[in-house]
Amino acid sequence: MSIEAARINDGAAGEGTGGSPGAPAPGPSGLGASGASARPGALLVSEALPASRSLFRQAYHDTLTRPSARIGLTWLFLLAFVAVFAPFLANSRPLLMKMAGRWSSPLLRGLTPADVLLLIATFTAIIVFALRLSIPRSIGFIAGVLTLAALPVLMLVKPPVNTVYSRYREQTALGKIQWSLLPPVPYSPTDRLRDQPDARLQPPGREHWVGTDTNGADVFSGLLHASRVALSIGFIATSISVVIGILVGGIMGYFVGMTDLLGMRFIEIFEAIPQLFLLISITAFMEHRDIYVMMAVIGATSWTGYARFLRAEFLTIRKLDYVQAAIAAGLPRRVILFRHMLANGLTPILVSTTFGVAGAILYESTLSFLGLGLVDEASWGSMLQQARASGSGFIWWIAFFPGLAIFLTVFSYNLIGESLRDALDPRLRKRD
Amino acid sequence: MFNYLIRRLLLMLPTLIGVTAVVFFVMALSPGGIGASLLSTEGALRPEERKAMEAYYKARYGLDRPLPVQYAHWLNHVSPIGLKTAGEGFPSSWKVGFKYPDLGESYSSHRPVSQMIGEAVPITILLELLSLPLIYIIAIWTGIRSARSRGKVLDVGMGFVLLAMFSMPEIWIGMLFIGFLTNHMSYVHWFPSNGLHDVQSDSMLFLPSWSGGFQRGWLLDMAWHLCLPVICLSYGSFAFLSRLQRGALLEALNQDFVRTARAKGLSERVVIYRHAFRNSLMPLITVAARILPALISGAIVIETIFGVPGMGKLAIDSVFSRDRELLMGITLIASLLQLIGYLIGDVAYAVADPRVSYVD
Amino acid sequence: MENRFGFKDLVLAALVVLLIVVVCLGMYMIDRQQKILQTMQQDARVRTGLLRDMRNSLHEGIAFRDPAGSDSPTTQKTYPHGDPFGNLKAAERQPGFARGDWIIDNFGTKLAKVNYPIAGDLYAYWVESRILEGLIYRDPETLEYRPQLARDWQVSEDGMTYTFQLRKGVRFSDGSPFTADDVLFSYQLIMNPKINAPRLRAYLQKVKSVEKKGDDEVVFTMTTPYYESLDLCGTLSIVSKQFYSKFSDEEINTNPGLLMGTGPYRLPDPKSWRPGQRMEMVRNDLYWGEQPTFDRCIFLEVEDETAEETMFGNGEMDVYATPPAQYQRLLKDPNTSKHANHYEVESPMNGYAFVAWNEKRQGKGTLFTDARVRRAMTMLTDRNRICHDVFLDYAKPISGPFASSSPQADPNIKPLPYDVAAAKKLLGEAGFKDRDGSGVLKDASGKPFSFRLTYATGNATMERVILFMKDSYARAGVTMELDPVDWPNLQKKIDERDFDAITLAWGGALESDLYQEFDSSQIADQGDDFMSYANPKLDAAVETARKTVDVPKRMALWHEAHRILAEDQPYTFLFSRMSLRFMDKRIQNVKPSKVGLNYVYLYSMPNPWYVPLAMQKYKRP
Repeated sequence: MSIEAARINDGAAGEGTGGSPGAPAPGPSGLGASGASARPGALLVSEALPASRSLFRQAYHDTLTRPSARIGLTWLFLLAFVAVFAPFLANSRPLLMKMAGRWSSPLLRGLTPADVLLLIATFTAIIVFALRLSIPRSIGFIAGVLTLAALPVLMLVKPPVNTVYSRYREQTALGKIQWSLLPPVPYSPTDRLRDQPDARLQPPGREHWVGTDTNGADVFSGLLHASRVALSIGFIATSISVVIGILVGGIMGYFVGMTDLLGMRFIEIFEAIPQLFLLISITAFMEHRDIYVMMAVIGATSWTGYARFLRAEFLTIRKLDYVQAAIAAGLPRRVILFRHMLANGLTPILVSTTFGVAGAILYESTLSFLGLGLVDEASWGSMLQQARASGSGFIWWIAFFPGLAIFLTVFSYNLIGESLRDALDPRLRKRD
Repeated sequence: MFNYLIRRLLLMLPTLIGVTAVVFFVMALSPGGIGASLLSTEGALRPEERKAMEAYYKARYGLDRPLPVQYAHWLNHVSPIGLKTAGEGFPSSWKVGFKYPDLGESYSSHRPVSQMIGEAVPITILLELLSLPLIYIIAIWTGIRSARSRGKVLDVGMGFVLLAMFSMPEIWIGMLFIGFLTNHMSYVHWFPSNGLHDVQSDSMLFLPSWSGGFQRGWLLDMAWHLCLPVICLSYGSFAFLSRLQRGALLEALNQDFVRTARAKGLSERVVIYRHAFRNSLMPLITVAARILPALISGAIVIETIFGVPGMGKLAIDSVFSRDRELLMGITLIASLLQLIGYLIGDVAYAVADPRVSYVD
Repeated sequence: MENRFGFKDLVLAALVVLLIVVVCLGMYMIDRQQKILQTMQQDARVRTGLLRDMRNSLHEGIAFRDPAGSDSPTTQKTYPHGDPFGNLKAAERQPGFARGDWIIDNFGTKLAKVNYPIAGDLYAYWVESRILEGLIYRDPETLEYRPQLARDWQVSEDGMTYTFQLRKGVRFSDGSPFTADDVLFSYQLIMNPKINAPRLRAYLQKVKSVEKKGDDEVVFTMTTPYYESLDLCGTLSIVSKQFYSKFSDEEINTNPGLLMGTGPYRLPDPKSWRPGQRMEMVRNDLYWGEQPTFDRCIFLEVEDETAEETMFGNGEMDVYATPPAQYQRLLKDPNTSKHANHYEVESPMNGYAFVAWNEKRQGKGTLFTDARVRRAMTMLTDRNRICHDVFLDYAKPISGPFASSSPQADPNIKPLPYDVAAAKKLLGEAGFKDRDGSGVLKDASGKPFSFRLTYATGNATMERVILFMKDSYARAGVTMELDPVDWPNLQKKIDERDFDAITLAWGGALESDLYQEFDSSQIADQGDDFMSYANPKLDAAVETARKTVDVPKRMALWHEAHRILAEDQPYTFLFSRMSLRFMDKRIQNVKPSKVGLNYVYLYSMPNPWYVPLAMQKYKRP
């Protein structure tokens, strides 16, 4: 009977096992979980009792076979590739150049520590994937390599402080550079083409595939480099909110009673303010907005959905037989928490996380669009803002392409999330 | 049920206090503080003028008191029960009692906050009330279609398209609409690009008239201005509701009574529309009250892009001008609306579905 | 399943909601029209009152006055300081002159308040200047002072006493008569500490007292001789004691639409305008002088640039101020040239943009303490190219804080040229050389020449200029990092002198006083000399000039100050912009003048523009 009621509940409230209300995306879907503390969350974990590993594997396979997920993953891999190799794809500095008989690589010399660390991380990830290590081990391995490499990289990699990008083109024209190999997009995002007086606001053409912006910089190059901002903010902000959410939700779900009551109030406070509004209030009042601050702020405002889920899961799980048995057997709290409760409770959060990353990217774009985004780097949202502020008519290429990039990225995450949810939803596995 | 209501209403109080406290301290702890933004609206000032203005604002708004005191002061003004001057409210002669809540006065425009919010909220609510039917009609229609042809191309395709619409950022679509559809110079000028009314709207008649050429009239003019903002506000919600409708309809189609109806020989159309559909509407109705507050977030961006003078735009303006009183007032009202929306949603759910009850 | 809630009910519910919405909107609309009706009724009442007055005076009989010695407002044959309506009367003699029509302009932002003396922003002044008047005003053609509410005036030898003889027979727009009491009241209103006008109050600190001698003569006494004293006293806006005394201090402070004066226009209701309502000024029928040309002056609040352009293109707006790129684009647009004229105006009122080099930070010297470094930075800034690329030549580089057309500027001083070699030489003398062939200038200890430029966010054009500067400095080996901040934080940084270099713009005046920005006394106490520039020779020149009432002597002193500033370069004076405007073709008699056009919004003066009868668009008065 309880399962019947739960199904009707779930159908009625529209919460699948993944729980669409939990998707903390801006706009109309930002419903948050229900406000009624009396209503239980997804009760169907009892059907998912088989060990979480096989569930993950199952979900993994189910998701990957769906065409929509494949499309999403393809775009994301493309984006990740672009983000990592951006300096090699779009740069005014030649990769290889022969000047006065000497060979040099201004591009390699111009790499920043961030570029180098990202490359190291990527190669390590490829190695780890080839070795087929388990997820926790691979994460540990990558983290370890990065920590080891951090200090030497920071000390040794010193890009030139002052760069005059047009010099390379000028010297090639003068013949001082005998031979040079340029990346496919031979413009850096901050190269404002001072040697070409009419470079501003060029529509898309042969020279500039997506045109140039109001300052003269190539838009395609800006798009490629801004992918880093989008991906990193998406991941890290969501990780921060998942961690906060798990902590708060777990504590509330485990130590019920007063903690639960106070915690619910705390969650409700955060849910009562429209999230975008809170973000705008916080970022508008900050003095210097760099990427880490933005990650932290977005992460610190999006955690309520995850907390609710985990709390609901915990409230249910703690009553289940195997947990009661573990407690009766006298297992230490840590083991109960992590191996039994958390491992099973994380399933619904997985789907929310995917939607959460999409949401974080949308939030960051909206903030940049309103002028409250990153100060140092360009992001897709701030490029859209340029289109808005233009006084000389509608510059369609600056409005269309950055927005398209945001759309495709968010869409990919949503596709993957949908597929994941369908894969994990046991109800839909039944084919009548 | 009544107990539940009272409990929920009382629980709103600490939430509201928490919300306003968070916003207040975020603002107050920012560098520059209130003084700088107040002064910056006056243009370049000489030092003695600046000092005089700062002293004036400090005295007037109590900006030199410690922050918690300022917050407590604001809280006292806003609450209907609290300390008051003798002679006001009820009971009149006491220092404590019921009184009119006073949201304060906006720093940047020196108007009562309640007046400014009172002008902006109806516009936002109008936007949302117009988007709700649009969202529902399209969501219900697509949901039913998807459920009927479940698993087939139409279902998958519609799901795909709706998810795409859900993923489209409002900033992008809004910009594209403005750039392509309201641009008399380069593209087409089918819609106005800004605001809620035409310049000459004051002198327009209310209804459209055909004397001396077609005149739009005030009502149609407003509707014309609202077209694009409403579309931008609603397109993102189709996906969620459509999915909800689809799921609910599929649920209902799995029930016994549907099997009975089919066994009786009723046509598929009757089965779906007369029996299954009505039962599947329940979750949609209950979700309605919760979509409204969620649209407030969406309204912030849309109103800023289209220049509609609603609550979202007011909020943005108040943030950018560091107008503390106005921002606090808006936070309070927005949160209150959101909480009430959730409450109505939950209550409607309990009322609609007798199987659910909140009595412990 | 008793719940027969079906599709039909949903549609019904939606229709009901729609109906309610329409009814609400209808009620709102009716409400607004009621308000318009009310204003019209009030207007009618005032007019009947006027007619009654006229009829009464007719009954009592008109005494013909002797024109020669008359004191009726405009028929004075003796004009000791020129005809107050000379420009307007010259326009009247033009063929096709007519009164009527509306002029529709745009603030480009929301107007929060217009109440005098509280409202202090530019747009409120645009409104106040048409509704309030002073005792004198400055003619835009000749820059001489003309009488307005004063008939005549005398300045004492020592420049400390200013006596004004007031006009007789002037009425405020509500009918109350204008006397010397009103002048006194106008002064006292501002000096009242409870009135939220600290800026005006500080401005008027130099006035020691204002006294009246009889009903039509007032005397201003100053505390020290100051070259702007006549302007200070004479352009004080006059308000009605009778009207404003009815309101408490609090009401005067908080009512955003409280504005009533003697000017050619008035608000339809002097106390009930609210922000959000369109700013409309109507003809003041009781105006003492020549009736203004336009029936109504309307200001829109369209913020969106695209909307502005569209509305101007549709003819819904008559005056359109454009940024350079748009201006050029519209010049080529055939549609625009069909219905609009264009004007490019240089004016000392436009002010200038500059980069201020901080010479002392937290008690220590900086990169820019050495004047050679500052001169070098100016020579590294290609201002001609900036004016050409960014402003399409609608801006000019300047050599100092004065407009090139201003008498304060020494015409022999030219802006420093863009000369990278000379700049590098100067920097080399100051110790910054390219020591290792890397192209980056470094000092003796190997530290690269690098600094941060602080600027306000939100101005896309200035960002272009700044990025241009960054790239051209980079070529020369100077690294400039960007530090964009929003206004409140910018103000804080200025107050704390917490910046390397900062770029800002000052507004201009007909005769600018350099005291605030460059005098060393303004370094302390958050004064406006925020770059800690101190030169005793400049102090001497400026302080003496301020006290000098004799014009040629004063100008010589300003020239001296100009020379010192050009030598020291505490600012790199960037450029002064032209104002670019399109105006509907039907508006005639728009001409350039020494201060811009022949009618300046900021000051109270008669407006000689008009629309001939055949071209008038708005027939309603």
